[in-house]
Parts: sequence; C-alpha cells; structure tokens
Amino acid sequence: MTVADPDHELAERFRDGERGAFDLLVRRHQKGMWRLIRRYVKSDADAADVTQLAFMRAFRGLAGFRGTATVRSWLYRIAINCALSWLRDHRREQPTEIAEDALTDDNPAPAQLSARDDRARLRAAIALLPPKQKLVLELRVFDDLSFKEVSDLADCSENTAKVNFHYAVKRLRDILGADHEP
Amino acid sequence: MSRDPRIAPHAGDAGGDAPRDPRSQLLTAYVDGVTELSPDERRGVEAWLADDPAARRESDAVHAVLDQLRALPPNAGEVAEPDWAAMERSIRQAVATEPIRPWWRRWQWLVPAMTCATAAAVLLVIWPRPAPVMAPPHRHVPEPVATEPTTTEPTTTEPTTTDGVVALWLDGSEVDVDLAATEPLGDAGFEIGGAPRDDAADDGDDGDEVGLLPATDLVWVDRLDDAALDRAERWLAGPENAGGSTGRRNPGGAASPAGPTGRASPSRKKS
Repeated sequence: MTVADPDHELAERFRDGERGAFDLLVRRHQKGMWRLIRRYVKSDADAADVTQLAFMRAFRGLAGFRGTATVRSWLYRIAINCALSWLRDHRREQPTEIAEDALTDDNPAPAQLSARDDRARLRAAIALLPPKQKLVLELRVFDDLSFKEVSDLADCSENTAKVNFHYAVKRLRDILGADHEP
Repeated sequence: MSRDPRIAPHAGDAGGDAPRDPRSQLLTAYVDGVTELSPDERRGVEAWLADDPAARRESDAVHAVLDQLRALPPNAGEVAEPDWAAMERSIRQAVATEPIRPWWRRWQWLVPAMTCATAAAVLLVIWPRPAPVMAPPHRHVPEPVATEPTTTEPTTTEPTTTDGVVALWLDGSEVDVDLAATEPLGDAGFEIGGAPRDDAADDGDDGDEVGLLPATDLVWVDRLDDAALDRAERWLAGPENAGGSTGRRNPGGAASPAGPTGRASPSRKKS
C-alpha cells in the first residue's frame, strides 16, 4: 500500500466490517468516478448508472483489495472497466464520435479541425490522440492523478506514462498549429 | 537547442520507448508538476532552462497548452452533474444487502489448516522409520511326552521313548522314529561310524539324519547295482514320496508322515 494513500485507512476499516467506511469512500470519489465515466459514456444518466455499478463492484472487491495501488486508482480502474464494458454492450446506441477506432486516426491535418472555437479545437485535437496518449493525458489533466496512478490505470510503467504524456502535449501543440508557437 | 521541436512522434502510442530527447520529456513533466521529477532530474531541467533560451521557449509553449487543457471542462458539451447526495443514497441502497466479506473469507482459516494437515500427512508418509525389530525366532521346545515309566525332565530335548517310538527333535521338527525299525542297528546306529562321511556328496539336508543310521551298515547300498539304484531313485521320486523331503524343510516344523520317519522306516530300507 502506498504510504501516502489517504484512503488506506478507510479500506482497512471496511475490511474490519465497517460499512460506513465505504460510504465515505463513495462520498470522496463519486464525482471523480462519474466524470471519468462520463468521458466514455455520453449520457449523464448512463454515467450515473455506470458509476453506481462501478461502486457495487468496488464494494464486492474491496475486502480483497491488496493495496498494490492507491484506492483511488483502483476505483478508477474499476470505473474505466465498467465504462468500457458498458460501451461494448451499448455500442449501437453510442454516437460514432466516441468509438475508440475513431481516435486512432494518426497525424490528422490541422485543416481537418473544423471547429472555430479554441475549446472545440482543443477537444477535437484530444479526440484525435492515440488512445493511450489520450487516456494518459485525460487522467493526468482532468482527473489530476499522479503519474504513478496513471501508470497503474494505463497498464504501463511510470516512465512510459510520462513519455506518453509528453508526446500527447507535443502533438496537441502540433495539431493546434502556430497558435502556441512563440 | 539540439533538436527540432516540430519533430513530433505521431506514430501511435509511445509504448515504453524513450523519447528522442529525454530532456524534452523531463521538461514536459517539469512544467506539468515538478513533484513528479526526482531532485536530480529537476536540477537537470532547471540547469537546461537556465542555459538554453530554446528550452525556455519550449517550456512556455508547454505551459500554454497545459493551461488551455486545464481550463477545459472534463466533459464535452453541457454536462449536468447528478445529485451527488441522491447518487450516494442509491449506491448505499444497492450494496445494503451485499456482505462485506466475500463468502470464501469466512473459510479462510481452512487454508492454513489444510496446509498443516497435508504437511503432516506427507511427513507421516515420508518420515524414515526405523527397521522393525525382528523377534528372535521362536524355538519350539517339544512338550515332554507324558510317560509314566520315564523320568525325563519335562523341558529336556533329549529323545523320549514311548511304546517303542522315540521322539526326536530334528531340523526344527519333531520326528517320531519307530525303534522297531531301527532295532537291528543296535546302539551303534546312533553313532557315526568309522566310514568317512562324504559331506561333498551329501545334499546338505540330510546331515542331521546321518546319526540315525550307522554308516558301517550302509555298505549294502554300495553293493546295489545300477539297476537297483535306478529303481530306488524312481521310487523315491514317485508321487507317494513326493512330499518326503520337502516336509522336513517346512520351517513350521510340521513334518509330513513321509518325512524322516519314512526314511527310517523298514519299508524304505527294503527299497
């Protein structure tokens, strides 16, 4: 168990039979879980359902949690798995833009970005990142996870997570063109 | 700066490969959060930034992108966040009937118990046992023959005589010898005669019986012709004498009737 994990004590208390400890974990992480899931599931209500499902899985597995990662990254891993599973089950109902295959289009020309708004352009640029770079970037920037936690979730080493993050930022700079060039 | 910042690796994920310029990767991580770098890495990046204006420009560019990213809402479009309290309640209700401990955790104590039991069983099987102590072979002492006229001690192993039958203890078996059959031999019959005993010709089993017949009185055997010897051999090998010699070899001591007694019987002598 990571020494600095603030959720370690709650996990221990839950293992000792205290249900209230799990309620505290839910209160602490439900927003982050929902936002993470919401990036995969393009519906607020569906994201809420998947979040609840993810917490149910976490409840069943927390007693066996070995503590090789932080509780937060463990919860986020469950959230990602639940979201991907939900996507597989509802593939036809999802807009095509979230299909993972659409995110692997390498080296798009800046002209392909039709959005005029900077935010829309940036979001479109993120969507065009390779999946792993996108995952690492979003976990790092939007979920504010450490590179260690990102590496746990992305199934890679911490150094690989840093490299992917570096490439993602560099590619965003290239996609966005000269706007960010000095 | 030694590298072209426009050379961007667009070919998919950076799956564990080091970037072309590790300093750039460190610079991005440095801009994103200095706590993610080790003190040595941080000092190296700061020295690079202090020496190289291009590094400072790159740092500014990374800063700009990251600032834009962090200003971006995590989710596209209008996102209506749910009622967190309601979600918390629904999660609590959903797990209300779930046991905290999985079923197998209630039987977790079985694992060490079964391990110990298995180890004990294996030890019992493979533990080197001392060789079993063999009881000394029980030497059967023949019961003394209850005869009124004799004064033989009950525990003696000397031959006892009852109604013309002498009980001998030979080769682990009790043998009754009909004295009538041996009468013609006289007392000398119980002594090994002057004729040299041919141990080499002896089969080894009959050595104890040599004393039953006087060697000097076996000269008639030497006078037998080959035909008579062949007939005698055939007779001895016949089915009626099949158990004759094996009976004496019985370690249990139960000699067959055709055993030593038969060899000493008059009928045998006749043949």
